[in-house]
Amino acid sequence: MTEALLKLATWLSPSYPVGAFTYSHGFEAAIGDGAIHDAETLAAWIADTLEHGAGRTDAILLAHAWRDPVDEQVAELARALAPSSERLLEAEAQGNAFAATTAAAWGPDLPAAPYPVAIGRAAAQHGLPLEDTAALYLHAFASNLVSAGIRLIPLGQTEGQGVVARLAPLIRRIAAEAIGASLDDIGSACFIGDIAAMRHETQSVRLFRS
Amino acid sequence: MTLLAPGLPDAPHPPRRQPRAEGAVRVAVEASGQGQGERPGAALRVRGPSSRLADLYQSGSARCLLPQGEPAATAVLINTAGGITGGDRFAWHARTGAGAELVLATQTAERAYRAQPGEVGRVDVTLELSPGARLDWLAQETILFDGSALERCLRVEMAEDAHLLVVEPVVLGRAAMGEQVTQAHFADRWEIRRGGRLIRAEATRLSGPVAEIAARPAVLAGQRAFATILYAAPDAERKLSMAREFLPKNCAGASYLRETLSIRLAAPDGAHLRSALRHLLAGLRDRPLPRVWTM
Repeated sequence: MTEALLKLATWLSPSYPVGAFTYSHGFEAAIGDGAIHDAETLAAWIADTLEHGAGRTDAILLAHAWRDPVDEQVAELARALAPSSERLLEAEAQGNAFAATTAAAWGPDLPAAPYPVAIGRAAAQHGLPLEDTAALYLHAFASNLVSAGIRLIPLGQTEGQGVVARLAPLIRRIAAEAIGASLDDIGSACFIGDIAAMRHETQSVRLFRS
Repeated sequence: MTLLAPGLPDAPHPPRRQPRAEGAVRVAVEASGQGQGERPGAALRVRGPSSRLADLYQSGSARCLLPQGEPAATAVLINTAGGITGGDRFAWHARTGAGAELVLATQTAERAYRAQPGEVGRVDVTLELSPGARLDWLAQETILFDGSALERCLRVEMAEDAHLLVVEPVVLGRAAMGEQVTQAHFADRWEIRRGGRLIRAEATRLSGPVAEIAARPAVLAGQRAFATILYAAPDAERKLSMAREFLPKNCAGASYLRETLSIRLAAPDGAHLRSALRHLLAGLRDRPLPRVWTM
């Protein structure tokens, strides 16, 4: 096990204190509406989010931040692109927590920034490979949504891990494409996903912050 | 006003490149009572605080009409080429002076027609809002036809206390005409700066096998129409509950973040989207829609 992989596995583990488990990316609303109701529909929504939504967008932002860690504009763009107030919170609160924890535990200084930007900068500071960083980021993102699905649908743990396993090839492909893309290539088509994130704000019973 | 159609050259040796349409409109208004003297004929008739034309430039296949009798100063934008294909270039530029108001609308639905391989049509929109200005950008739907390739860019520079409303509906083909849109490329970038700060960016990308992509559950779940509405203004947060009240029960959401009210709508087709937008805009705006929106 290389040093680089150990760092990435630590930073992107569910036990790293960024509070990932409190965010559902709007999936809680889609589950409430019945749009996500089993392993099949959960996998489809996560795949869409990875390929046509925040997964791809975040991976491009992460890659830009890795290549140019001092560019403040990418952090501003990441904030401006958030489609709803809770999705902005999800990106900022996790990013700020990641930056504070990582600077304190691993050094050096890391300014507060939206989550994918903070990860890209930290990986660059520590000389970690970009493609692995992007793939592990997307894997952590997808796994967190699976955990939300396991709690909310509910879904069996084994079924949930089946979804994670099924998404692995897509995660590798999106990571590989995103690291070759520029900020101009960013773009989402997940309208229903964004609408779910917006509707989550008025959902009567909520376990998640997004 | 004479509307010029672009010349369509004969095609003795197909295949050939598509005829390229280009056009630009620059329109500016200022609050009445500013500037030097009255210019007869240049005043836009409005009820309430009035604005008058300060600048108007038109070129190529782009035209701007200033209809009288609208509830607010209104400029209607026209693409005389009848649509956009690969290689076409359109630029719409509007400036609203201090305290002035302007409603901009496209005359009819914009059509993005099949593009030759590698050719992309471009539309650039630039909006400038001075202190106390109000500008409504009320585009009618853009219809993406099979094989179309369109890239749009909307840039806004607004003063801190200006009021901006942006409405952009997009429809994949015309369901009523039985049109199928299998492949298309659509990329839309928005950047809204308020007092120089980037407060909002939108990046829409629907590219490749769009029918398949639109069928995906988190994309459009098989629906064919969507719209984004942004309202950036000092009273934007107060309009959030109103927006939610006027939205359809399904496939619509609103949020307030970073000084902007952001709304997304999805609908089975253009007609449903239009009806939902009319209802929402009637609720959000304190005045009737321009006539081109109600015809």
